Amino acid sequence: MDALSMGLVAAMGALATVAGASEDIDSDIGSQSNPNSQVQLAAQVGNPHRIYNKAIAGEPPSNALWCTTAAIVAYMLIEAFQMPALFSIALGASVAALFDGVMSMSAYFGRNASQKRFNQWVYLDIVRYTTPSIMAHVWITSFCIVTITYIQVYVLTPHHPFPIPVIALIWGLTVGAIGSSVGDIHYGGEREFQWRLFGQGLNTMLSGQIVRKAEAGLRNSIDNAWFCAKFGGPATGMGFGLTVFLDNWRTTVFDPVSQALLAIGTGVFFVIVMNLYNFYLERSARRKYGPYPGYKGDIAA
Amino acid sequence: MNFDATTIIYILEIVVGGLLVGIGVHFVPVGGAPAAMAQATGIGTGTVQLAAGSGLTGLLSAGLMMSVTDNLWPIIATGAVGAMIMIDATMLTGSWIYAYAVGAPFASAKVNYDPITGFSQPPYVAPGTVGQGIPTICYVSGTIGAAMGGVGGALIYYPLVMINNNPSLSAVFAIGIFLVNAVLASWNIQGTIEGFHDPKFKKWPAAFKACLVSTFILALVAVIITGGA
Repeated sequence: MDALSMGLVAAMGALATVAGASEDIDSDIGSQSNPNSQVQLAAQVGNPHRIYNKAIAGEPPSNALWCTTAAIVAYMLIEAFQMPALFSIALGASVAALFDGVMSMSAYFGRNASQKRFNQWVYLDIVRYTTPSIMAHVWITSFCIVTITYIQVYVLTPHHPFPIPVIALIWGLTVGAIGSSVGDIHYGGEREFQWRLFGQGLNTMLSGQIVRKAEAGLRNSIDNAWFCAKFGGPATGMGFGLTVFLDNWRTTVFDPVSQALLAIGTGVFFVIVMNLYNFYLERSARRKYGPYPGYKGDIAA
Repeated sequence: MNFDATTIIYILEIVVGGLLVGIGVHFVPVGGAPAAMAQATGIGTGTVQLAAGSGLTGLLSAGLMMSVTDNLWPIIATGAVGAMIMIDATMLTGSWIYAYAVGAPFASAKVNYDPITGFSQPPYVAPGTVGQGIPTICYVSGTIGAAMGGVGGALIYYPLVMINNNPSLSAVFAIGIFLVNAVLASWNIQGTIEGFHDPKFKKWPAAFKACLVSTFILALVAVIITGGA
């Protein structure tokens, strides 16, 4: 362990936190992932809306695509043209953002045009001012993840044996999986259905009845990003940041060759602590919120 | 290349790795899109996506370990730990949202009492839903599933590197074999599962057979292609 390596691992954790947050906010602005099922359904049950609709793919594969695209461009510029790393990564992220912009717009046009029979319109103003926000967030995600891979491959010792695009593919899949598992709940479980009773998930009977009015005027996807950036985004960032930081911290503090057992033991310790923390969360939520009043069964709470 | 005893052991290792991935996916508590609306118990995403996210994070750790040692045991152990850290961090931050944003207690709709904590479940299931959040039993099950995925990924990667000494090529083949097994298992699950306490978990032998056949073919192809390269 040396000071530089610890600093690099800390920087990777910080970059991962930013990447996770921007990934989740990107999916909230574009309404990309699981909660988009409700946005799609809304028009079909008589609620046309002004929410962006870019279900290009599941979050993990689509983020893997953006990050790998950025990584390939950066890798090519670094290896073949000896360009400076920062410039190459920024250019790679820009190419990824452009790809994302094209696919987001085609997804929005295609999906909303196919719902014409349900009176769902294609709003050109929504396309004009939402697409650049989506692209900007994809740029941040790709930039941070390719920077993490660059640090892992070229700077941090031991150097990672995988090439930059393969690591970017894996981190892209991982950040998408975390964004889809964590941030989506804030958007789907809370923001889309704010008028139902607080303190429970969505009742199946209310499917498709999404909130369409904003604090002022009609709600659009930028309003959703404003809300989800308060908790869903940072929580996603924390999830991905913890993954990258804890996983690399244990192999940096302990030498993987001579102290492999300690490195593995530290990882197991983190896992046990997180299991206990979740148990604490479960117990405190049960104690604070209590059982649902309408329960008619004979099992005691 | 020759098909000697070592090559056959490598093929068997890949097959065991694939089977571990296939069975491990059954342990991961995924609620799919309904869980993202706190409408079902588990993690609010797809089976393959979460299994791939955790298992491949384990593969990254295993790859790093294999660049400094040839000993199989630390490689598969670090793969398992990497995958467990990823899935635990994901479930933990997801639990924050369920507890502090949606404001719902965690409950499983598949059992009356949590087999680990003994907590009663039905009174805490919100009306019109099939549970919400990640109760302890699901959390522990997810951790076990991730460990199996991590070990599986490392077991697929290790023999390929031993054959061809090329981490990049081996990683790409390992990702491919991993995803095939994860997808086969998720078809068996049909979308959502809560963990090893879920009645759907009993269907794992079907996935076992399918993964056995597919991984055996893939192992042969992977060994021939990467070994002959």
